[in-house]
Amino acid sequence: MTTLSTHPVRRFFEGMHLLLRPVPDEAYGSVSSIAGPGPRLRVLAMYIALGDFMYGAGMGAFGGFAGQRMLQVFFSAIKVPLLIMASFALTLPSFFVLNTLLGLRADFARALRALVATQATVAILLAALAPYTAVWYWSNGTYHHATLFNGLMFAIAAFAAQWPLRRRYQPLIQRNPKHRKMLRAWIVLYVFVAIQMAWILRPFIGDPTRSTTFFREDTWGNAYLIVGELIWGAIKGLF
Amino acid sequence: MAHTTTLHRKRGFIHWVTELDRILRGETTSLASMRKGMLELPVAGLIVVLLGLASIYGFCMAFFGLFNHAGAAGVQQLFASMVKVPMLFALTLVVTFPSLYVFNALVGSRLTLRSLTRLLVAAMAVLLAVLASFGPIVAFFSVTTTSHPFIMLLNVLFCAIAGFLGMAFLLQTLHRMTLTEREATPAPPALPASDAKPQAAEESADAQVIDGAQAMDDSAQTTEASDAKQQDAELDAALTEPQSALDPIEGRVLDQHVRTVFRCWVIAFALVGSQMSWVLRPFIGKPGEDFVLFSPRESSFFEAVWNALRGLLGG
Repeated sequence: MTTLSTHPVRRFFEGMHLLLRPVPDEAYGSVSSIAGPGPRLRVLAMYIALGDFMYGAGMGAFGGFAGQRMLQVFFSAIKVPLLIMASFALTLPSFFVLNTLLGLRADFARALRALVATQATVAILLAALAPYTAVWYWSNGTYHHATLFNGLMFAIAAFAAQWPLRRRYQPLIQRNPKHRKMLRAWIVLYVFVAIQMAWILRPFIGDPTRSTTFFREDTWGNAYLIVGELIWGAIKGLF
Repeated sequence: MAHTTTLHRKRGFIHWVTELDRILRGETTSLASMRKGMLELPVAGLIVVLLGLASIYGFCMAFFGLFNHAGAAGVQQLFASMVKVPMLFALTLVVTFPSLYVFNALVGSRLTLRSLTRLLVAAMAVLLAVLASFGPIVAFFSVTTTSHPFIMLLNVLFCAIAGFLGMAFLLQTLHRMTLTEREATPAPPALPASDAKPQAAEESADAQVIDGAQAMDDSAQTTEASDAKQQDAELDAALTEPQSALDPIEGRVLDQHVRTVFRCWVIAFALVGSQMSWVLRPFIGKPGEDFVLFSPRESSFFEAVWNALRGLLGG
């Protein structure tokens, strides 16, 4: 059992270290929580907010910091945590009801914490990758390449976070294999919502040739239809 | 006095929501609960909760009309959808219920009118709870997209998922009710051949032989039937309590009568429900069109879904 420091800054980094390492929840000692020992949800929410805020600020710095471009840094710093948390919140009611219906209600608190802890891990990973984004921006001035690079950073963080997710879910799956199905269903639903949320909340990077706004003028649209039309157009163009 | 009345009413609603939670958790339909008697549900209270859940989903659906219609038309669509979605499920249930009861009786089911009502209310509880839980996602997409075919198909998809889970619940609960009813029915007493009354001396020898053989046949059949019932009872006693409302009973094949009833109800409910939704449309409202309470009767639900798919794929 690990005892965290009482100093808030030290406690912050020790908690982050515990979160990233492959330690069981019992290492957190006895915490008064219905989900048993483990990191508290509000602490995990704090890691999500801070980590995503840091990466968002880095994303928005593509156009520099002069004049209105500073506003893009601020907007993106707010939008990345909003994207993650809002997408998660939208999927929560159906996750709860389906867990109940499948007889997994007793484990819901632990399942929820496993998912939130994974989001926190993604956020910490993104914050750690932010310097790479800064170097890329510094060495490559193309907006299109910046978009691709940021997509790559998100993909790396999401992929790497699968390990702690599996680790946290493994005891639940061993207790009841239906947790595996529920996890997959949640991932599909979450990605479905998050893609549309990301489309609506753009721009995250900010095209330097356009004015800085929180939302694009043409923001109301459907990501799936746009992508579908692009793919369909590409297929039609082949023939 | 007023405070006490308010408290009583509040407790009543909380009780109904708690019962809904018990249905979702599978406690109401567990074998242990059902062995105590028929499905115990506060039907009237649950109906109030279900109407509320349906209204919530209608509210979320109507966001599309609210954000794509100018002026009061969007607000009118919002209120209309909040009323129409509960109407849709209520009317579909009212239309399909009598035939379901009759088919049930025809295939030999012992489910009474009361039991069937409770069963359907419980199944609708599952369907509407799942549907309402998708409400925030539907609302989000309704606000952020302008494509009517996409939103229409998204709503159809979520209704289909909720309907599938509701049907699965109905199937398993029907099966459990059949099993527990069979357990509760006592086996008829066997008639041992040695207890058969001796025939009167004035009866003919042939009649005596025939009657004796007939009595032995009857007692043999009754013994077989009671043996089968005893085996079933032993098997039922060894049943593992399922972990959820949707889990099948392990080691027990679904009764053929249950399958027949299920098929009848699924087909009837799906067809009536989809066409009823077509009759009651619009639920989401097409952009650029004025608000109307009911659209003119033309085409059909299936043609509309097909056209929406074609529209999305650029056909």
